[in-house]
Amino acid sequence: MVEGSRWRRWVSFYIPLTAFMVVLLFPFYWMIITSVRPDKELYRPWNAKNYNPFWTWNPTLEHIRMLLEETMFMTWLWNTMLIALASTIISLICGVFAGYALSRLRFRFAGMLGTGIFITYLVPQTLLFIPLADIIRDFHIGDTPWSLILTYPTFLIPFSTWLMMGYFKAIPKELEECARIDGATRWQAMIWIILPVAIPGILSAGIFAFTLSWNEFIYALVFLSSSEQKTVPVGIVSELVRGDVFFWGSLMAGALLGSIPVAVVYSFFVEHYVAGVTGSVKG
Amino acid sequence: MSRIARRRLMQAAGLSAAGGLTGILASGQAPAYAQSTTVHWLKWNDFVPAADELLRKKLIPEAEKQLGIKITLETINANDLQARTTAGIQSKSGPDLIMAFNSNAQLYADSLADVSELCEAIGPAQGGYYQIAQGNSNDGKRWISVPYCIIGAEVAYRKSWFKQAGWDQFPKTWDEYRAAGKKLKAAGHPLGQTLGHTFGDAPTFAYPMMWSFGGKEVEADGKTVAVNSKETIESVKFMTAFWKDAFDEGGLAWDDTSNNRAMLSGTISATLNGASIYIETLRKPDTYRTEDDKPMKEDILHGRLPAGPGGQYAFHSAQSTMVMGYSKNQKAAIDFLRWFHTEGNYRQWFEIQKGFSCGPAAMWEKDKMWDIDPVMEPYRDAAKYGRVPGFAGRANQKAAEALTKYIIVDMYAKAVQGMPAEDSVKWAEGELKKIYAA
Repeated sequence: MVEGSRWRRWVSFYIPLTAFMVVLLFPFYWMIITSVRPDKELYRPWNAKNYNPFWTWNPTLEHIRMLLEETMFMTWLWNTMLIALASTIISLICGVFAGYALSRLRFRFAGMLGTGIFITYLVPQTLLFIPLADIIRDFHIGDTPWSLILTYPTFLIPFSTWLMMGYFKAIPKELEECARIDGATRWQAMIWIILPVAIPGILSAGIFAFTLSWNEFIYALVFLSSSEQKTVPVGIVSELVRGDVFFWGSLMAGALLGSIPVAVVYSFFVEHYVAGVTGSVKG
Repeated sequence: MSRIARRRLMQAAGLSAAGGLTGILASGQAPAYAQSTTVHWLKWNDFVPAADELLRKKLIPEAEKQLGIKITLETINANDLQARTTAGIQSKSGPDLIMAFNSNAQLYADSLADVSELCEAIGPAQGGYYQIAQGNSNDGKRWISVPYCIIGAEVAYRKSWFKQAGWDQFPKTWDEYRAAGKKLKAAGHPLGQTLGHTFGDAPTFAYPMMWSFGGKEVEADGKTVAVNSKETIESVKFMTAFWKDAFDEGGLAWDDTSNNRAMLSGTISATLNGASIYIETLRKPDTYRTEDDKPMKEDILHGRLPAGPGGQYAFHSAQSTMVMGYSKNQKAAIDFLRWFHTEGNYRQWFEIQKGFSCGPAAMWEKDKMWDIDPVMEPYRDAAKYGRVPGFAGRANQKAAEALTKYIIVDMYAKAVQGMPAEDSVKWAEGELKKIYAA
């Protein structure tokens, strides 16, 4: 609870918190209101009588119906879920082991290797998709979920490794050393002592990786071509932008429904996630 | 119930997998379902959904039946076509046919199949390709893509507001348009125009503005950069003042959809566009209403971009189909294009467009479709008045690169944001020289 006089509480806590909440939640509010506003209101002249862009008295489910019935949204949602989950799991496994090795094992160039891995994360996807397209062709996995499940780790593994490196460094070495003194091998110490302590870090790396995979656009655009293989970000843009007309209601409905799984994942793991991001380990 | 032992299950699975694979390898052939020739066609998601429906449900099945091939149509957002084309060329795999906008085919000329025979058959048979279609699809040596259609760019304007401002007809010159726009902006109805990096409306405005003052990108040799001229500087100065006087100044951040939305919601009084704004008001008369609640379709007319001291020009977005050089199905792809562009087949597609797309050849001006709606009349022969980027030379790879880098658009955008006209033109000259010297 914030202490101090009433005005101090308002100035230092409630007003900034309210402003923060408004900024943070306004896009979601806008998505909700746009997805239920009839087109007639969405395109109403701004100087028309009773013009109100922030509310509607005539909500409609037409945009959501169009999204669900006239596009393959549910298929895209399933594809996105499958691809995001698979690539997250692969990346987490690699990232955890690589992060552990780079932070705990003493070998030459470990520091440089860590920095190098991070730098690979900084190479823009808009450049990487071109050579990756070659690889996708050679492996004959174009237009299949594998083309994304195997390419997303190219940016997820460096990211997870870097994040886990930092987290492992925050875990006191003494924990592991005690286990070693008690007879545990390095592997056992890692599996039974370090990883349970690192769960918040693993979860936050997983949530970030899942979100990055969920939202990824350029690889999904280039490597998938059939409508039934597409992911949500590519599918809704391909189907709901026709020429120079955007189907705003359905686009917003797609963005809203598409963000629900990510919101659910966050809400389940929010406590661990916060602990992971802040690196709070009780030694 | 009999149980299946784990080992036995593994053996059975292994045998069947190995047997299947061995069988395929031994036969030396792909499985039967993969043997027929499949042509993968990638194009934009058409503004006219009925046109894509027609392709999917009628024309493509008919073509498949008559040609004995399978055709897979994939539609995506137009802005994403270049990424797919680049990836396809780099990896030498991907769609057999890809739609190109404007002169983008010139960028990939070395990676495209020669379609000269086909174009030389279609063009003359249909009254001759327009200069725009030819400029975009022919690199001076051969035809590199098959002209598909031309999306006319005309100014959609609100009849009643222009009348209130004293204009019964659309202004004929830039000075008149500026005078009208000044009054309209003062009345709360500014003109709308993007000067952002968006493939349609920004270059289709900026290039004709330069041409109509006598400015040009390069000399007739197609190599010597000539943008830094008195005429271009005059056009930039004019645009800077015009922008402040008449335009919605938020347009710098607009994309191709923003002016549609602004026009349909009654925020602006006129904007350069394809016919999509008007056609949208026809589709949903109850949705798009004027401020006095009348259908907006009754209050929209179209006019040509005005004339300047150097003449009256337009830059219409052209679409063409590239047969990719890496494609193993080039013959089938060309056969399909030949079939599609046959007069009877193309007419079905053309007429369903209701004028949003003009034909790439002169014959289509005479189609009876144009007699249906007088509001669409300005689009009938719009393609005649078009030029392609790269003027006074011909469209080529360098001009296409300058277009995709939005150099001419940025020249105007920088000036309206405060850079002196001379400096913005000098900047454009420097950028163009980098491209043309490379």
